[in-house]
Amino acid sequence: MADTILRRWNQEITIAGIAILFLLPLLAIQPKTYLTLTIAGLAMGMLLFLVASGVSIIFGLMDVLNFAHGALFAWGAYVGFSVFQTLMKWVVADSILQNLAVFCIAMVAAMVTVGLLGVILERVIVRRVYGNHLFQILITFGTTIVLVELIRVFWGPNDEVMTVPRTFSGNWDIMDVIVSRYRIICILLGGVVYGLIQLILKKTKLGTIVRAGVEDRDMVQAMGHNIYLLFTGVFAVGAGLAALGGLSMSIFSLQVYPDMGGTYLLFAFIVVIIGGLGSVTGSLVGALIVGLSYNYVAYLVPWAAAGVNVLIMIIILLIRPTGLFQK
Amino acid sequence: MEVPSVNETILKAEDVHTFIEQHHILQGVSFEAKADAVTVLLGRNGAGKSTTLKTVMGLLPASKGKITYQGKEIQKSKPYQIARMGIGFVPEHMGIFAELTVEENMRVAMLVEDAATARRLEVVLDMFAALKKFWKTKAGNLSGGQKQMLAIGRAIVNDTSLLLIDEPSKGLAPIIVDTVIDSINQIKEHSVVVLVEQNFYMASSVGDDFFILDDGMVVHSGRMEELIRDEELQSRYLGISKVED
Amino acid sequence: MPMTEPTPVQMFHMEEKSRQYHSGGFFLKIALLLLFLLVPFLFPSFKTVDLAIQIIIFGALVASFDILLGYTGILSFGHGMFFGLGAYCMAFLLGKYGMPSYSNLLLGFAFAAAVSAVLALLISLLTLRVKAIFFSMITLAIAELAIVLFTKLSGLTGGEDGISFMTPGIFNASFSMGDFMGIEITGKIITYYFILLCCVALFLAMLRFTKSPLGRVLQAIRDNAQRAEALGNKTFVYQSISITFGCVVAALIGALYAMWMEYVNPESSLGVMTIMLDVLLMVIIGGMGTLYGGIIGAAFLKITQTFLPDLQSLAQDMFPQAELLHNILERWLLLFGILFILVVIFFPKGVIGSLQERRYQKKKN
Repeated sequence: MADTILRRWNQEITIAGIAILFLLPLLAIQPKTYLTLTIAGLAMGMLLFLVASGVSIIFGLMDVLNFAHGALFAWGAYVGFSVFQTLMKWVVADSILQNLAVFCIAMVAAMVTVGLLGVILERVIVRRVYGNHLFQILITFGTTIVLVELIRVFWGPNDEVMTVPRTFSGNWDIMDVIVSRYRIICILLGGVVYGLIQLILKKTKLGTIVRAGVEDRDMVQAMGHNIYLLFTGVFAVGAGLAALGGLSMSIFSLQVYPDMGGTYLLFAFIVVIIGGLGSVTGSLVGALIVGLSYNYVAYLVPWAAAGVNVLIMIIILLIRPTGLFQK
Repeated sequence: MEVPSVNETILKAEDVHTFIEQHHILQGVSFEAKADAVTVLLGRNGAGKSTTLKTVMGLLPASKGKITYQGKEIQKSKPYQIARMGIGFVPEHMGIFAELTVEENMRVAMLVEDAATARRLEVVLDMFAALKKFWKTKAGNLSGGQKQMLAIGRAIVNDTSLLLIDEPSKGLAPIIVDTVIDSINQIKEHSVVVLVEQNFYMASSVGDDFFILDDGMVVHSGRMEELIRDEELQSRYLGISKVED
Repeated sequence: MPMTEPTPVQMFHMEEKSRQYHSGGFFLKIALLLLFLLVPFLFPSFKTVDLAIQIIIFGALVASFDILLGYTGILSFGHGMFFGLGAYCMAFLLGKYGMPSYSNLLLGFAFAAAVSAVLALLISLLTLRVKAIFFSMITLAIAELAIVLFTKLSGLTGGEDGISFMTPGIFNASFSMGDFMGIEITGKIITYYFILLCCVALFLAMLRFTKSPLGRVLQAIRDNAQRAEALGNKTFVYQSISITFGCVVAALIGALYAMWMEYVNPESSLGVMTIMLDVLLMVIIGGMGTLYGGIIGAAFLKITQTFLPDLQSLAQDMFPQAELLHNILERWLLLFGILFILVVIFFPKGVIGSLQERRYQKKKN
């Protein structure tokens, strides 16, 4: 009896436990700095969530490990960059409307372009290696090489500066706590995306079918649903999410460069290992953990920041190998 | 739905071969399912019964042979296409989506949401009262028998003219088995049923025709009434000894 | 009862052996070895000798990677890291924390083997019990982490600038043994032969490993998942041993390469996008699961890379207006990436593997 109750509340308990864990740094950091770092960490986490959720869902439904996700992330950033370059007037204008407009156009352009790339990728390449993880990694890795080189061909090999839309930049001063505007936007964006994904998964028939497919692909097919169309669709959505993450991250870090996908792909893997493959909530929690730890540690012990997430990943592997929220 | 004439063959498998990796599981299986009858596939463990159903459903590719449904060849069709032709499938492991509620399971099953389907859903819920009771419960929390009812319910909520069921009585208490028998007897009034079973009690209670599989081939077939009387046949192929019930 | 006649099985093995030593493939391998032995005399230019070293080093490195990929079925992104670790061990002992001496040279190799063995065992035992694909993701993360650490902890590792050092005694570039057959035998030439010798020895060791009982068990595990299940939890132990072996060889090769370059730094020694990328391209194009494929892949890639500038200027002269052609030639990595994908899809066994399969089919008929 107690066991069932424990299982039902398992997710909530885990989240609560983690939240408490993250209050610990308050012992070492000033409250105001802590708040700034927390917001930075949450923002970074939200952006990582955008990339990682795609990897997680694609693996959950299709059992495909997509190593090309980082390249799709980079492509999203570059498409957004081009949109900003073309409509630079709107980017630098001091008008929320124009900034929002150009951001939305960039979002749509990036997500649609990369979504289409995803469709081509899935149908032409990934489809041939269903069921074989080794070849999936090899082939998606090869695709990464090609996609990144294509970025160099189309946009040039140099780092480019990504301009932050005027009204998104700057800080708010709330009771002596400096809060970066764009970071809040990222947090909101991530929250909205998470909410939308959960809504679609839980409340729509399509989402229900996807959730069923994550559990038993064959059965869903045997019940009359074209699983191949579903795969292509989910892959495209995952790619679109990566693109959104790339665009947002490029504004966050003020630059685009051809290899930017690599670093974030790595983060995405750490996130899904911590959070559990196939779980969207897991990706969110894992991403926030990674984002927050990175920021706290970067402040306290700078050289360890890169390593702390690998450390967390190893700990999770030791105590709960399937991740926090394995489906 | 068109009422097929008596003794018309609805499903026909001819010399079907299926490989699982390098193992030659089905080595030329041929059988027929006629209208107005429950056809039972019998045989020991590993004889190839489940593989036969999965091959018909398209979940496993037939390397050789022909499968015809209502005159159409389906051995090259994909599972979702076969399902949409009106063939329902209840697999050996039931195929319940544990994280989804009973309601959501049924929703995934319903291909169109119209009045006819709604009526069929009513029939299903009448047949299996437990499903109504646990409508909003996660399917993984149901008992074994309830899961089996859900699996069968899902398969018949659409306009199913052929139902493939794989070992529905497996692991179920005798009382539940009786419920399943009742439901199959109800279903067979308007659908053709192909049943795979090891449980002879179950098979003999609902079956009209039988085919016995051994080592991936059909070794015997006939009317169920004959098999019930032929104890020698039962012990030879089904391992049923005289001492058993 | 005295056994004078060999048993049928023994006779079969003897036949196999004699067939092996008389086959065309065997002669090809001998010819190849002779070629490498003669390179310093046939092509004395530094560029060619360096190219030969690159092929030897990477050929052996890719073979060690193939132990993991082709024989154990595990894709590790950390191979470059182990290579780099071996190089750094040598650099530490001959340079930063030591000095050029023969004993330190030997210690360098020992250190490289020890460190890599421990690390490889740790990683495999930790991750393989979960899912094999996790191994890939985790080795990628650890490899990147290694680069960051080696760059940031510059006090300990020399940071981005790397470490320069000298090889001892007869290996040192300034050493000279006088003339022989028309060319001067410098320390570099001696180092060349030392590396060639060691790599051939390592390669033979790897061959022996694949033909050993453990090697065969691994191939069985790789090919037949059911067999793996029957072995139960033991499979990941076998895999761990195999992986550790491959990584130790990689570290030793890294140490050898450090001897040649007399310089290490994070990006070029440990790099994922540098070393690892090349290794992957080579193993796929050459053929995984064949060990020899590594040599083919290494030769193909390295020769192309070396002579690409010449190819580019040739194209410039022949088609001065074709800008797209020039752009594409500049992006040789793009072409290799496409080739990589095509090979994975259509020739998963690479050059050697497809040839082997063709020969096997012919034998069947």
